[in-house]
Amino acid sequence: MIESDYTPQKIFIERNSLDFALTKRIIKNTSRVPKEIVDNPHELIEDLKVTRNAIQEGKKYLLLTKQRGEFVKPCPCTPHYIGCNYFIINLELNCPLDCSYCILQHYLSNPLITVHVNLKDLWRELDIFCNKNRKRAFRIGTGELGDSLALDHMTEISKDLISYFRGKRNVYFELKTKTTNIRNVLNQEPADNIVISWSLNSSKMALELERGAPEVEERVYAARRVLEKGFRVGFHFDPLIRYPGWEQDYEELIKMLMKTIEPARIAWMSLGSLRFPPLLKSIIKKRFPKTKIFYDEFIKGKDGKFRYFKPLRIELYKKIISFIKKNGGSDVPLYFCMESEALWREVMRWVPKGKKEVERSLFLPFG
Amino acid sequence: MKNKYLNLNDIYLKDERFRISYFFSLEELALSLKKIGLIYPPLVSFRNNHFILVSGWKRVLACSQISLSSIPVFVVEEEDELKTFLIAFYENLATREFSLLDKAEILRKLKEFGEAKRNILEFYMPLLNIPQTLSHLDMFATFSQFEPELKEFIHEKHIPFASLEMLAEFNSSERRLLLPLLLPLGQNKQKEILENLREISLKNDIPAEKVLKSAEILEIVDSEKLSPLQKANKIRILLKRKRFPHLYSWKEAFDSFLKKACWPEDIAINHSPFFEDEDVTVHFNFKNEKEFKSHLLKLQEVASKKEFSRLFKLFSDD
Repeated sequence: MIESDYTPQKIFIERNSLDFALTKRIIKNTSRVPKEIVDNPHELIEDLKVTRNAIQEGKKYLLLTKQRGEFVKPCPCTPHYIGCNYFIINLELNCPLDCSYCILQHYLSNPLITVHVNLKDLWRELDIFCNKNRKRAFRIGTGELGDSLALDHMTEISKDLISYFRGKRNVYFELKTKTTNIRNVLNQEPADNIVISWSLNSSKMALELERGAPEVEERVYAARRVLEKGFRVGFHFDPLIRYPGWEQDYEELIKMLMKTIEPARIAWMSLGSLRFPPLLKSIIKKRFPKTKIFYDEFIKGKDGKFRYFKPLRIELYKKIISFIKKNGGSDVPLYFCMESEALWREVMRWVPKGKKEVERSLFLPFG
Repeated sequence: MKNKYLNLNDIYLKDERFRISYFFSLEELALSLKKIGLIYPPLVSFRNNHFILVSGWKRVLACSQISLSSIPVFVVEEEDELKTFLIAFYENLATREFSLLDKAEILRKLKEFGEAKRNILEFYMPLLNIPQTLSHLDMFATFSQFEPELKEFIHEKHIPFASLEMLAEFNSSERRLLLPLLLPLGQNKQKEILENLREISLKNDIPAEKVLKSAEILEIVDSEKLSPLQKANKIRILLKRKRFPHLYSWKEAFDSFLKKACWPEDIAINHSPFFEDEDVTVHFNFKNEKEFKSHLLKLQEVASKKEFSRLFKLFSDD
């Protein structure tokens, strides 16, 4: 994203958010972008919602506002499947990338790319949260409701977050991205508990489905630069997608990845197959009518979301794991995102007793 | 508005520019007219040397059915087309619930008579209980273009919005081929046919028409032994099998296990929904100790057979 950083067409600033330091920083970093002060962002949001493609329209604008709820929350995961005990920081909502499978299209009612600028409240909340959990190790990250680095050239928030978490040895802080927007990260002192991770897919799927995201090779190259700087890196193969030729394409991706990245510096890899709530399918059908990925054999899972019929998921995961192991990744901690006990047993050959055991299994390499 | 008596023949029914509804049954209204006469006069307008109907199609057609020669009418003096249509719209809005096809017709006519898109979105769509989005407006415009025989089917079967949305994804000749398959089925099965056909077509890049004209479907369609309901159900299952081949092969393997293991008919056995879990449940009813023990014996007998272990291999990749 270095050559083509996202620039909004306009920045809307809620009047009561004008005086925050982060607002001032973003204004300074976007001097050429028109700004408008608004009293009520809900009116903007309602106006956007009646447009033909509200989701795409919303990506043109940035809204600076206050987080009125909690910044830190447990990752909602999904009922009836095994989670990983992850915590999320809701600093940004939405993302300038436009991945056709993205759950945010369904999940967020506000189509505007939004940054919550009241950072003092975030630090206060994090202090309380970290203090409460000081006796155990846990993972926390910002990449759940947006891309952790896609706006970083404007917000520079990665610098603040890395500085905040650097000294907290029991906290594993993750910035999760599909971009190569790593300038600010590279200017920071690394720490072993800071993990910069990338979502990866086969080149074909990335090209077809991840509109606006850099090519997979560029992402892996960015990961290497971050690793060379001294950070740990993580990779998320999510969503894994079946299509004619998927085995070969994913094998190529993993070969390329493991050739470029030293496995010992990989903090974790997660695997998740394509899954989606029923309503997302109709949104995607309208927005991306040529997308065929939803016409494979999906069944309604125990959580009401569609996912591949179990034997197909097993085949998918077994192959991916075999590619990872074959290419030097036998010791890389692996976990599933939102999978069933049956599947853990069948593929991983062990069943975690719950999300905390999944979490613990990921901390081993840190000693 | 002026009150006037008109011969039914003097109302030019071929001009349907203000008509909203096309499908209704006239029997009850005809009976009411016979018993108590016409209480609410229809609205007409004089245009191009004709009296044309603005509102009251059902009343006029029912009067015609019972061979009334003249009826009282109100003559609308408004000349503007949109304003005249709005008279028809509000009169209907106040007195009855609009069907999805009525709503499609109203939105189409509002547009044709020059109402601004923004007004349609912000004012009329909420009045019609339609979400205020352009995609809904587009979708209703497509519904209004459906073939007359399809519209009649939608009216008769009270087809819901979600199914209309699916029908809109097919072209006119595909919809014609689909109609006899949908007619005998209930709404859920109709939806299943539409969804599976669409997705088979999209996944394999084959027009739905080609799928519907494939040899295996034509063989069912042309069969003289099968009733329309049997044909529709056979094709529904065929499409489902094509859409979910792996799931179907698992289901068949499960059924075949039950057959080979001679599973007792009075004991139900079920796999988890879509085989998502490894659990299998067994269910039986009993009234007394004797019946209970008899079921246990049957289960024991099945469990002692060689075939029984196959049940657990079905769910494992080993």
